[in-house]
Amino acid sequence: MRSSLRRHTLNIQAVKMTIKQRKAFILVGGIAIAVVLVLWKPTVLIYGLQAAGLYAAVAIPMGLVLGIVHIVNLSHGEFMMLASYATYTVCRALGVDPLVALIPTALVTALFGWVVFQLTIKRALKAPELNQLILTFGLAIAFSQIINLIFTSQTYKLSLEYSSMSLDIGDLSFGVWSFVFVAVAVIYAVGLQIFLTKTRTGKAALAVGQNPKGAAIVGIDVYRTYGLVFGLSIGLVGAMGALFLTKSAIFPGVGSPFTMKSFSLVAMAGIGNIPGILGASVLLGLAENFLRSFRGTRDWAEIVYFVLIIAVILSRSLKGEKS
Amino acid sequence: MNRTLMRMFLILIAVVAVALPAFAGDYPLQVARNIMLYMALAISWDMLLRSGQISFGIAGLFGIGAYAAILGVVRAGMPAWLSIPFAGVFAALVAFLIGFFILRLRAMYFSIVTLALGEIFRIIVHNLHDFTGGPEGVVMQQGVMFGGNADKLYWLVLAGLSVAIGASYWFEKSRIHFALTAIRNNEISAKSSGVDIFRWLLLAFVVTSAIQGMLGGIFVMSYGFAAPDVVFSADFTLLPLAMALLGGIYSTRGPIFGAILLGLVAEWLKLKIPYGHLVVYGIMIIIVILFMPQGLKNLFKPAAKRTEGRSA
Repeated sequence: MRSSLRRHTLNIQAVKMTIKQRKAFILVGGIAIAVVLVLWKPTVLIYGLQAAGLYAAVAIPMGLVLGIVHIVNLSHGEFMMLASYATYTVCRALGVDPLVALIPTALVTALFGWVVFQLTIKRALKAPELNQLILTFGLAIAFSQIINLIFTSQTYKLSLEYSSMSLDIGDLSFGVWSFVFVAVAVIYAVGLQIFLTKTRTGKAALAVGQNPKGAAIVGIDVYRTYGLVFGLSIGLVGAMGALFLTKSAIFPGVGSPFTMKSFSLVAMAGIGNIPGILGASVLLGLAENFLRSFRGTRDWAEIVYFVLIIAVILSRSLKGEKS
Repeated sequence: MNRTLMRMFLILIAVVAVALPAFAGDYPLQVARNIMLYMALAISWDMLLRSGQISFGIAGLFGIGAYAAILGVVRAGMPAWLSIPFAGVFAALVAFLIGFFILRLRAMYFSIVTLALGEIFRIIVHNLHDFTGGPEGVVMQQGVMFGGNADKLYWLVLAGLSVAIGASYWFEKSRIHFALTAIRNNEISAKSSGVDIFRWLLLAFVVTSAIQGMLGGIFVMSYGFAAPDVVFSADFTLLPLAMALLGGIYSTRGPIFGAILLGLVAEWLKLKIPYGHLVVYGIMIIIVILFMPQGLKNLFKPAAKRTEGRSA
């Protein structure tokens, strides 16, 4: 009896050791890759990190909704697109900088997200999961087509001086403005972590995410929390919409790839693991930019995240970790 | 009595459908071809849905079929009539191979993976410049099938639609119906009643993919041209989905009804609003999911029992 217990603890220790070893292995591997990249292809590292920041900052709000409201919001990228168009219209009309419009855009889109939640998604929360998936798919089409209707499929872009700033180190020249995305991603991840573990509302949201029935029993208004979290998520992605406008041209379909990318990052990190999204984004950003840096493989960079998402989902299902 | 009346009615519709070119002009025929193509896709999507698996990859398999057909003709010198069944067989083969992996997945994971696979197919075709013609696509030098005869092309699409309707009835009237419904309603109880879940899912996936591939072949043979952005267009996923949802899912009649209604509305709107007429599809999907998840077909039979299959 006692010996079996001891063997059991030994086993646990062995498992802990292997987990530690694995983490150390990943860390060492990551540093090694970074060093190799700095020496061999520094632009891959720089642009990879910038892309990773953008992906992560868009994906983190989706991870929040998936972790707490438990719906896959297929209109996630479209909300960002809407925010970009709203910012563009305001900036053109009033002649202000998108950065000035950042906070108001976030607030307005948060409110808009809350209204959309109350009108549509809330009614489908009790329906089968597939209905929710199709519903948000319908929202995505409606949003992008309404923009298509108003603005046509033409692209719009603001030309801003600061967004084309570049830095020269030796014979290496690269844009620096996109590092703002990395900063935003880190702020989102840290901010949400603090919100979810330190504030009263955040703790309630976490409780609802873990067990809605239990949360309701202890007196938390589950649907109100869902609405708040959804609004918060859309507000965060709306702020990204304003930021995105500083760097990129916008068109009606600009948001939809971000939906897929965000989902694949959230699925990779594991649902509910917001800091993990940062790591997954770095992997995706570096892999894409690595392929893009060779002439022969440039066109294949786009395929990386589709392959990655399928690989992650399949390996999860083979391990038996079904949802 | 009622049944004979119904049968007479169906025969009448079939006769009208076959004889349409005799009294319709070029434009109505063109619209009818479009609607029938999407109708057949909607039926094939619904056939897989009956097992509870929701595919977002219709465009992917449609595009694979389209490219299989046109490359068969252009690169391998295949006769045009043969390329259409070849497209179906090729899509079925692809579905059979990927089915072994992806049919283990359920719910949103299955849907997302089918969507991602569609994109992967598009990128592969896009990037294999030498074989597929890259982003510019391939043009059939020998021209459109039947020399562009509108009547014959109409019958070709009608034949494709008949295959889809026939397969759908086969799914409805045979053992497959019970197997798929059992899987949809509760996989555990289906399994304990001896239903081989994976085998039936694979059958449904391969058959529906073959239909989608064949339709891709028909599409490309009647336009004589294929480009990645045309044949892998998201419309081929979106429109059939909206049509089936509107008409009512888990049946053959629902998608037919939905396709006629939505197809005509969209055609009319396309003339009125060149940009963004697809907004109708988005709004239609939202309204159907929120207010009538059983689709229009059940509005006409209020006594029908609501059997919502909840799939986890």
